[in-house]
Amino acid sequence: MTESSLSALGAKVVVAASCDENHPPENIIDGNTKTFWMSTGMFPQEFIIRFVEPTKISAVTVDSYNVKHLKIEKNTSRNASQFEPVTEKEFEHTEGHLQSNAISLNGSNATHLRFIITTGYDHFVSVHRVNIQN
Amino acid sequence: MVKLRARCLLVGDAAVGKSALIHMFHSDGTLFQKNYSMTTGVELLLKCVNIPETNDSVELYIIDSAGKETLVEACEKMWGEPSLLCLVFDLTSEQSFANCSRWMERVRAHCQGLHVPGVLVGNKSDLSARREVQASVAQEWAQSQGLEYHETSAREMENCDAPLLSLARAFQSLYQERREIIQNLIPG
Repeated sequence: MTESSLSALGAKVVVAASCDENHPPENIIDGNTKTFWMSTGMFPQEFIIRFVEPTKISAVTVDSYNVKHLKIEKNTSRNASQFEPVTEKEFEHTEGHLQSNAISLNGSNATHLRFIITTGYDHFVSVHRVNIQN
Repeated sequence: MVKLRARCLLVGDAAVGKSALIHMFHSDGTLFQKNYSMTTGVELLLKCVNIPETNDSVELYIIDSAGKETLVEACEKMWGEPSLLCLVFDLTSEQSFANCSRWMERVRAHCQGLHVPGVLVGNKSDLSARREVQASVAQEWAQSQGLEYHETSAREMENCDAPLLSLARAFQSLYQERREIIQNLIPG
């Protein structure tokens, strides 16, 4: 278990399909569920997190709102390209509070993780925190 | 500053002027198609609308879908999940107005239960002598369906921007509303 935020570990969000300057993608990895990144319309939506070095990941936790279906892909390259699928998950709908999901990645080694939100429970979705367990 | 993106579905009976209307909007009033050429599939038009008095804009992905009954089923496959709806009828054709309910049913089946802001547009307002649908009747039906009513004339360049501008505004307010809700959520 690691309690530090991904940004404190040097990770970066290198791609995000939407940007509201008041709710930038960096909010996903700052470890704070009060700050968030919000999609600005249409699906799919995606963001890519880059780690400082190849990292072994047993699971990711995702705090979000209105996300219906999430796919996760990874690579071990220095570039954010040529991803391979790892897993996908259907999230339960919540009202008034965040969705909190832990997704097993079976100790995958990755330098990039790509999160693709294929559908939502509303026109707009938000992602408040992504963390990893090594 | 936010750039929003919306999938706007443009539907209604054949020959009511959907393509003419949307090309007027898309070309900022410079392109009226004088010769009718029926849309037989789906045409995608992209137009970015700035919301007045804000720094926000909405990129509209307009899906102009064939109105002819025999082609609708094939086109529906390309509708996806719409964010906005523009339903058009011909003010000189009572039938095209009557068919609007059928169009609403079709569209709703694609909305996954989501609230999709929409407008009802009575086109060909220049042909006043041949008008078959009264504004008050159309207005009342639009209201019952939660749609905002507009009358346009693509030929006379009358009011062509209004329906799409109002849709863009509605999408921006929906975004602000949802953002407010999300800001007040409690952690899971």
